[in-house]
Amino acid sequence: TLKDEFDHVVKKQKLASSRTIDLVNQIEKEIEQAIGAIQENGTDRDAASNLNHEILTNLKNTLKELVPVKQLESCQKEMNTALGKWVKTTEKFFINDISKAYKNVDMEPHVLNEIIANHLYREALFDIGDNFLGEASCLASIKLKQLFQEMYEIFGALRTEKSEPALSWAMKNHDALLQNDSCLELKLHQLQFVEILKQGKRDEALQYARTYLAPFATIHKDVIQKLIASILWAGRLDQSPYTEFLVPTNWEKLAEEFAQQFCNLKGQSSTGPMGMTVAAGAEVLPILLKLMTVLTAKREWHSMKEFPFPLDLRRDFQFHSVFICPVLREQGSDDNPPMLLPCGHVLSKQSTVKLSKSSSRSFKCPYCPFEALASECKRLYI
Amino acid sequence: RLHGLKRKMEEGARAEELQVQRCRARLDRLAAASAGDDAEWEDIRLKRILVDYMLRMSYYDTATKLAETSGIQDLVDIDVFLDAKRVIDSLRNKEIAPALAWCAENKSRLKKSKSKLEFLLRLQEFVELVKAKNFLQAISYARKYLAPWGSTHMKELQRVTATLVFRSSTNCAQYKVLFEQNQWDSLVDQFKQEFYKLYGMTLEPLLNIYLQAGLTALKTPFCFEGNCPKEDPLSLDGFRKLAEPLPFSKQHHSKLVCHITKELMDTENPPLVLPNGYVYSTKVRAEPTHFCSPKS
Repeated sequence: TLKDEFDHVVKKQKLASSRTIDLVNQIEKEIEQAIGAIQENGTDRDAASNLNHEILTNLKNTLKELVPVKQLESCQKEMNTALGKWVKTTEKFFINDISKAYKNVDMEPHVLNEIIANHLYREALFDIGDNFLGEASCLASIKLKQLFQEMYEIFGALRTEKSEPALSWAMKNHDALLQNDSCLELKLHQLQFVEILKQGKRDEALQYARTYLAPFATIHKDVIQKLIASILWAGRLDQSPYTEFLVPTNWEKLAEEFAQQFCNLKGQSSTGPMGMTVAAGAEVLPILLKLMTVLTAKREWHSMKEFPFPLDLRRDFQFHSVFICPVLREQGSDDNPPMLLPCGHVLSKQSTVKLSKSSSRSFKCPYCPFEALASECKRLYI
Repeated sequence: RLHGLKRKMEEGARAEELQVQRCRARLDRLAAASAGDDAEWEDIRLKRILVDYMLRMSYYDTATKLAETSGIQDLVDIDVFLDAKRVIDSLRNKEIAPALAWCAENKSRLKKSKSKLEFLLRLQEFVELVKAKNFLQAISYARKYLAPWGSTHMKELQRVTATLVFRSSTNCAQYKVLFEQNQWDSLVDQFKQEFYKLYGMTLEPLLNIYLQAGLTALKTPFCFEGNCPKEDPLSLDGFRKLAEPLPFSKQHHSKLVCHITKELMDTENPPLVLPNGYVYSTKVRAEPTHFCSPKS
């Protein structure tokens, strides 16, 4: 496998480098010894020079024995062969050039930069976003930045188990949250209530419940009942049957829910658009690349109005309903809407007209033996 | 002298180890790639793609900061790009020397890919000499440096040497263009391309490639209608603009998305029809607070 080969190369490399350093150290030692010996021989010219000569020849011989160059060469060679093999394996394994799937149109830089800046703000990387704006000299929506700053302030508070900012936001947006069917406000009060209970302040808890939990009593009876009952265990909730209120991840989950509702109310998507597009792209790239090997004329790619193959994406990426008539294999539209047959199957209008040949005769559904008249089919709105 | 050699070997070993560390980090990351949707893995991928884009656009500061805060330094090649920055900056300053040095360093690879970067650099130097009216110097320069390229690039050589005759104040369009400032910009682009090729990178930023693919996959005619759901990236102006020249994606199977729950309907959550013909998912029926078809 790839990893094994890589480890092999690394081993050889380590071996080669350690061997070289060892050798160099050895040589260094020998030379230093020789230098030391020469120095010891003093400055007496004639006698010294003979001895020095001897020392130098000795040195030369020892060095020759070490055969440093040859050793180094063989180490290096081993490493290089391993490296070469490794390169070949990686090339086989990975697709080399993903830009083959790229259509050469200009992506306007300032549009792209704006999208990137917005993305950075959405990911709470405010400083980096500002830095980017400076380097890229582009503008981004200040409003968007402030929006996300507000969101992350409250989000951060929630993650450190402080519910006040979130509560004030929730109460301000009480009606909108209700319309969205969100019980965020109740959950926030719930957590606050549990905090009071944990400290054993029974009366305060009761007071809190009367003021804040009561308005939710009619809609969320079960939860309210549990909460009120848990007053009995004030200060020792871990011994109550309601330990579910003590789970620490409650705060995290609530923070996530808050973020979602916030985005929802402010008309933003709950997941960043850039992240979504890139993920969709990653899913689809293998198909595109395969297509590129099939398409002979690059021009086809450029002038296509509709992509010839279906690009199936994960469930998360489906935002629009589309009806494809099983008979005509065409997309439904206002002129050719989906029609519901009495048997429960759905065909496009044109198909029903065609199958009945004239609108007065009944036709058999392509899927089941049920017969129907074209006039009995109801138009569907998806 | 031996000490010097020793130092160099140690440096080399350290550099090799750094590369090993990088490779290992990336291999580990690939091994961790699971088949399904792992949000954290995808998030790091996105950051990696963004850093790549920023480095290519020369936003080095932001790129480094982003890489640091996300801890992905081993997964991106910032120092490789910083190397290139030196050359690019010098070219913008109208200095040829660093670029030529880079060419010399990578001579064998450039030769393999038949690059004419060095030739273009020399041409520019020649033109600069002509601009400065050092004609004799220009001619001897041409003899020394441009002649060897004559065999492969004769036409261009001829064209540029003709500038000797026309001089920088010419109005002849063909030659005026050679004296323009933006020749330097095109040199920068040319260098970038060679640089990307040398290191096996794509010629286009990764971001563009991924975005294009994603936009094509997400683009349907419905995105441009009135009430495109906010969850769809193509409801935003910026994305719409980028997706303009791209083809629509084609669907082969019907897909129904409930307007209320925004979820896909399938066998576990089958579609239901109201008497007025509107279709919603079963889940809506299970938790209605007030249910009258919002469309009627």
